[in-house]
Amino acid sequence: MQGTHSDLEPSVRIRDLKKDRVNFILENVDLAFANSLRRVMMADLPTVAIDLVEIQANTTVLPDEFIAHRLGMVPLVSSNCDEGMRYTRDCTCMAACQYCSIQLKLDVACHNNTTMDITSNHLEVTSYQMNDFDNTGEGEAGDEPSKRGEYFGHPVGKNDPDVAPVLICKIRKGQELKLRCIAKKGIAKEHAKWSPCSAVSFEYDPHNKLRHTTHWFETDERAEWPLSENASEEEKPRDDEVFDFNAVPRKFYFEVETDGSLGPQEVVMLGLAELQSKLAQIVLGLKKTEPEMLPGERVDEAPQAPADSWGASGGGGWGGNTSGNAAGWGSSSPNRGGGGNTWGSGGGWSSPAQQGAAGWQVS
Amino acid sequence: MPDAERTRRKPTFNTLAREEAFRNPPKNGSTYNILNEFVLPHLESFNALFDDSGLPSGDGDGRGLISLGLEDIGERVVFDGDGKVDNRGWGNRMRIWIESANIARPMVPDKDKHSTTRKVFPSEARERLTSYRAPRNAQGLRTCSYHEPEEFGGYFVINGNERLIRYLILPRRNHVISLIRPTFANRGPSYTQYAVQIRCVRPDQTAVTNSLHYLSNGSAMLRFSWRKQEYVIPIMLVLKALFGASDKEIFEGVMMQDYENTFLTDRVELLLRSFKMFTLSTGEQCLEYLGDKFRVVLGTPEDWTNHAVGAWLIQKLILVHLNSPRDKYRMLLFMLRKLYSVVSGSCCADNPDSPQHQEVLLPGSLYGMIIKERLEETLNQIRNTITIDVRNGVTVDFNDKKYFQKVLSKVNFDIGSKLSNFLATGNLVSPTGLDLQQAAGFTIVAEKLNWQRYISHFRCIHRGAFFAELKTTTVRKLLPEAWGFLCPVHTPDGSPCGLLNHLSRTCRIVTSPLTVAHIPAILAAHGMSQTTTQSIDGRKNYCVQLDGRVIGWARPAIATQLAMNLRIWKTEGINEIPLDLEIGLVPESKGGQYPGLFLFSTRARMMRPVKYLANGRDDQHNPTNFLSILANLTPFSDFNQSPRNIYQCQMGKQTMGTPSTALQHRTDNKLYRLQTGQTPVVRPALHNTYAMDSFPNGTNAIVAVISYTGYDMEDAMILNKSAHERGFAYGTVYKSQIIDLKDVPGASKSATPTLHFGLGRDIQRNGEKAHSCVEFIDADGLPFIGTKLTSGDPIAAYIDDTTGKTRFVKYKGDEMGLVDQVRLLGSDAGDSELQKLHITLRITRSPVIGDKFSSRHGQKGVCSQKWPAVDMPFSESGMQPDVIINPHAFPSRMTIGMLVESMAGKAGAMHGLAQDATPFKFTEEDTAIEYFGEQLLAAGYNYYGNEPMYSGITGQEFAADIYIGVVYYQRLRHMVLDKFQVRTTGPVDPVTRQPVKGRKRAGGIRFGEMERDALIAHGTSFLLQDRLMNCSDYSTAWVCRTCGSLISLGYEDISLGEVAMGASSSLRPSGPGGEYCRVCRAAAEAQDERERQALAAGKAAPPLPQADVKVAISSQHVLGRASKGGDLDVVAIPYVFRYLCAELASMGIAVSLAVT
Repeated sequence: MQGTHSDLEPSVRIRDLKKDRVNFILENVDLAFANSLRRVMMADLPTVAIDLVEIQANTTVLPDEFIAHRLGMVPLVSSNCDEGMRYTRDCTCMAACQYCSIQLKLDVACHNNTTMDITSNHLEVTSYQMNDFDNTGEGEAGDEPSKRGEYFGHPVGKNDPDVAPVLICKIRKGQELKLRCIAKKGIAKEHAKWSPCSAVSFEYDPHNKLRHTTHWFETDERAEWPLSENASEEEKPRDDEVFDFNAVPRKFYFEVETDGSLGPQEVVMLGLAELQSKLAQIVLGLKKTEPEMLPGERVDEAPQAPADSWGASGGGGWGGNTSGNAAGWGSSSPNRGGGGNTWGSGGGWSSPAQQGAAGWQVS
Repeated sequence: MPDAERTRRKPTFNTLAREEAFRNPPKNGSTYNILNEFVLPHLESFNALFDDSGLPSGDGDGRGLISLGLEDIGERVVFDGDGKVDNRGWGNRMRIWIESANIARPMVPDKDKHSTTRKVFPSEARERLTSYRAPRNAQGLRTCSYHEPEEFGGYFVINGNERLIRYLILPRRNHVISLIRPTFANRGPSYTQYAVQIRCVRPDQTAVTNSLHYLSNGSAMLRFSWRKQEYVIPIMLVLKALFGASDKEIFEGVMMQDYENTFLTDRVELLLRSFKMFTLSTGEQCLEYLGDKFRVVLGTPEDWTNHAVGAWLIQKLILVHLNSPRDKYRMLLFMLRKLYSVVSGSCCADNPDSPQHQEVLLPGSLYGMIIKERLEETLNQIRNTITIDVRNGVTVDFNDKKYFQKVLSKVNFDIGSKLSNFLATGNLVSPTGLDLQQAAGFTIVAEKLNWQRYISHFRCIHRGAFFAELKTTTVRKLLPEAWGFLCPVHTPDGSPCGLLNHLSRTCRIVTSPLTVAHIPAILAAHGMSQTTTQSIDGRKNYCVQLDGRVIGWARPAIATQLAMNLRIWKTEGINEIPLDLEIGLVPESKGGQYPGLFLFSTRARMMRPVKYLANGRDDQHNPTNFLSILANLTPFSDFNQSPRNIYQCQMGKQTMGTPSTALQHRTDNKLYRLQTGQTPVVRPALHNTYAMDSFPNGTNAIVAVISYTGYDMEDAMILNKSAHERGFAYGTVYKSQIIDLKDVPGASKSATPTLHFGLGRDIQRNGEKAHSCVEFIDADGLPFIGTKLTSGDPIAAYIDDTTGKTRFVKYKGDEMGLVDQVRLLGSDAGDSELQKLHITLRITRSPVIGDKFSSRHGQKGVCSQKWPAVDMPFSESGMQPDVIINPHAFPSRMTIGMLVESMAGKAGAMHGLAQDATPFKFTEEDTAIEYFGEQLLAAGYNYYGNEPMYSGITGQEFAADIYIGVVYYQRLRHMVLDKFQVRTTGPVDPVTRQPVKGRKRAGGIRFGEMERDALIAHGTSFLLQDRLMNCSDYSTAWVCRTCGSLISLGYEDISLGEVAMGASSSLRPSGPGGEYCRVCRAAAEAQDERERQALAAGKAAPPLPQADVKVAISSQHVLGRASKGGDLDVVAIPYVFRYLCAELASMGIAVSLAVT
């Protein structure tokens, strides 16, 4: 680890924040941490998406399974999904209940001579009625529903006239679509529909000073390779600059664009919290294996273990309880502890989601 | 120029116009008229059968080809006498002929009382799986009901299938070609390899081929065929018979003043001399002679004179495209001269494989020929029936109407069924063969696999089934003459390569004759010598022919001038020279083609747009015109190595695309549908022209060319799992199941059905004990729409009246299917009970590992892994590829077009442009790379389309920049789900007990000899035994230790401790299970018996009779003889070996095994 860098606190500078995107620079963390954040934001944040569709009437041109697939792709408002909903697999109900699912209904028929669009705006969130459960019963009572926001589970943009709805199907006179959907909580690792991000742009070293990559060119590198917008954030390399082969990337340019199910801010916050909880799991896992550990090893009590402790004990408790992502994050970083000891207290990074992270279970 | 060019490129997705056209389809006609244009030859050729309006005089009467055919059929004559002189001679003479033939529209049967529209539309026939019959009206074909906005006609609906008659290449009509074929010499003594041939076509489009063979004695023989039988007559006989030409006339006619040419004089002298032996000097005599010889085969009226029969022969079979004997005579002389010049080597043989000497067999013409022949056959049948009656002494009274009704009832008038049989099978059942080289394979199914495949059926043209078996590949060669007629790219690879071609995009086929009667006069006015002119010098004059008729002679300079004039006139519309007149000027050349000026105006010729350089007249000239429609759709095909474009033409037709926009009206056996088809960003200009956007064939995919994870090696490709989950290349297969209660076992043959769809009283539909079928089937016995079916589930139920029980029809597929549609099929009249169902099943086919994909550049690959999105490489902007392919796919294949498409697609996607990918738009000065590179640069990308990318796993930048862009990807119909084959145990062959073969039967894959060799070579003997024995036909068998026989096992029932006693009450030895060798026991007992008898007689035992052949068995085994057949052992052998022993035994060969 570079002495100069380790002294610096990780920092975030938000360059642009919009309703559906945030553009920020993450500094003074390592590549592995930055990439882990990217991966977690893309694949590990729970959201709500339609998972089961019960078709009651479909006389449209699209077959049932295709409409079901399209409905699954509709982003639903999932703020505070972590607390507002259980995973169905963790719920004691038989199939779905108010604690682990949201019910949406759609009932559209066209009676006019013009083509009608069935859109996500036609989806109505409905509370469960008794006859919606076919003797499946409810799960153990919990406070999840109270933690949901006003529009939790609603299609994104339904209550906003400025946002164009998602087109599901077009129908003509006499055609009808009636169905019941059950939206569940899930993560994008399972299916892409649960991903809150539409794209995460990620860049470091716009001038290629580190020479991680080579810019192939025919005649003139400068003419053929336009600099990215992020290049202005960094000093242009001088022509006579000496190559610093010890340098590592420390500055990462992110742009997180969401599909609206979670706000961009929430995505980043939750991403960090998720990363934290994953590491906590590792630590927890290491603790459990304490008796099997080599003598003389010291295990830290705190979830935010110092770098050397869990780096050295890698032989014992890796893998078992960690998900695939955690393994990826730890594997290639040359200095594992780089960001580890700082992000718990990192300035401005405290998030309400962190409190919930303790109760979160890793699948 | 480049800049001006660039502004002219106006790419557009045409979205708004298309949407508008889709919302408000034109009231009459179709949105894309070009679709009707390219099937025009199909349609017009049928229309010509009944409507030839606009025909110039002399070319028909405007009533169509059928009426011309009827005229040609003429009359049949019968007599009510038997011709014997002692009776009353021939008696009464009656002439029979067909006055006219008509066709009707398909109509609802009169029985039906409910229909409001009596007309039947093709779509109904298609959906009801019947034929669109009684029609035979090309007009009806064209005005198909428009379920499909882009529907076009030109095909037939036979039993619900769309079938069409494929174009076939034929020798050019009315044009003499010279041939050198060594096989000609085998035709008989003194025949040589030289011949000239002409395929003469009558006005009704039926043809007769005449050949003129050169004999080594200098004379020539004329060959023709009549009812599949070939006949040869001396040419002199015909020349004389035509109008009684004298020897001098013939001599002069052939020589044409070329008296110094001793080669020619010698031959003509021999020709004339050799005919002297016939002692026929006048034309009359020749006709008499011909008539006498051919009377037996021709079937002409019995009262005709030999002279009349001879004249009829000449009229009907020799140079039938010409009417007047003088024309025929001149043409024969021309043929003779051409023949002699080929023999002398002053001109070369013509190449029959060149499009110069070819034309097209039009579907309608073939159809008309068949109709004509069937009509002729009915006429002959009537005549024969009456003749037989007369011969058998049945009272034949020509004035008795009842008698005629009887005769007519015996004759089969159903031409329609013959025709629909022809269309359904493509087999030509014909007594004459119609002068065609093949009798089968005329029709094909127009498969609607996707739009590209469908439209190419209408443009394909076959060389002929005969050539497919030919060993030589010369017929398959792509000749420069084919430029603009046949597409050099669009031909399948493999066995039909080069034989099954496709017409170039702008190639037209002339379907109507032209007004040409005035041309001879115009040419004569411009310097052509008339045919009547005496003493024309054959050396200095070209023959001028119009449609195979000698219309005059012209000196080379004049002929060249005439050709140029005609071309200028036809392009500029002067002198009423039709534009489609074909002008072929063959200049004289040493050892080249036979010179002359040949004009053609008949139909069935292929025409291409050309630019006449002399006056610069341009007929929609375009560099891509020489490509077929499909070849034109390959983007940047000019950048690709040519075989790759051929592959794309194949793969485009195998793509899972959009077969139809009216799927609910289709009844095809199997349809593939891509659910999320897109319009390609990069597309040639013709994409819009041919309505390709109405039938999308693929998806624009983000493609990175990178070697990542290793799962992309050897043409495999990695799919982004998230892209897959979002529906990338999601497809559906629609399969049909037809349930006809008439075909079900137990169906009654009577008119009233005993099987009815429905659930009977024996099925409980409600309550606790409800039958399991109610999940799938409603009370009417039909499945619910949308029901999920797995193998073995009931798909329909019917009640059997005789037993009162309900029976089920099972779903037999092995995949989950969903009921998409249930179609109830009634009878034609709509008055019978429901007996037939057509069920469309929808089978979802989301892409899985092992499915095949391809770009539009012949780059196919198999999906090898669905890689999680987070682990996929990504670019700085966060883009992740949908598809990863390996860079090794490019160097050897050189599909630069794909690389250009990737760049163009990327730039197009960034700027929102539809990129024009028409080939030949870029030049060395204005390169594609430059054009798209600038666009990429403007969008902030690297000029050459590369991007730095990051590993999804570590987040580190790759050491190399990655080529990433947008490429249109097609999903091919070859899917693992249809192909995988796996077996542990399963059905075995009853004879050999080895696993059966075949995927359908759950069989195994053959582990053959070469595979065996491999295992032997590796020394893996355990594997070898496992594969060839244990996993195959492992069996155990008893083998006799004494005689080594495998097949002589016998069993004694000694289960309860019994012992078997022989006839001589001695103990019979057997093994512990009672097994014994029947052979050895019999031998031992015989020996015993002999010994006993010898003992009784007091003599020494006679020696054992010895077998002829002794098998070497080591003595230790022979010792076992003492056991008298009781010593058997169990050995493990392959079961086939036992079978082999039994088979050998049946041939008297014993197999002996040594057991140690």
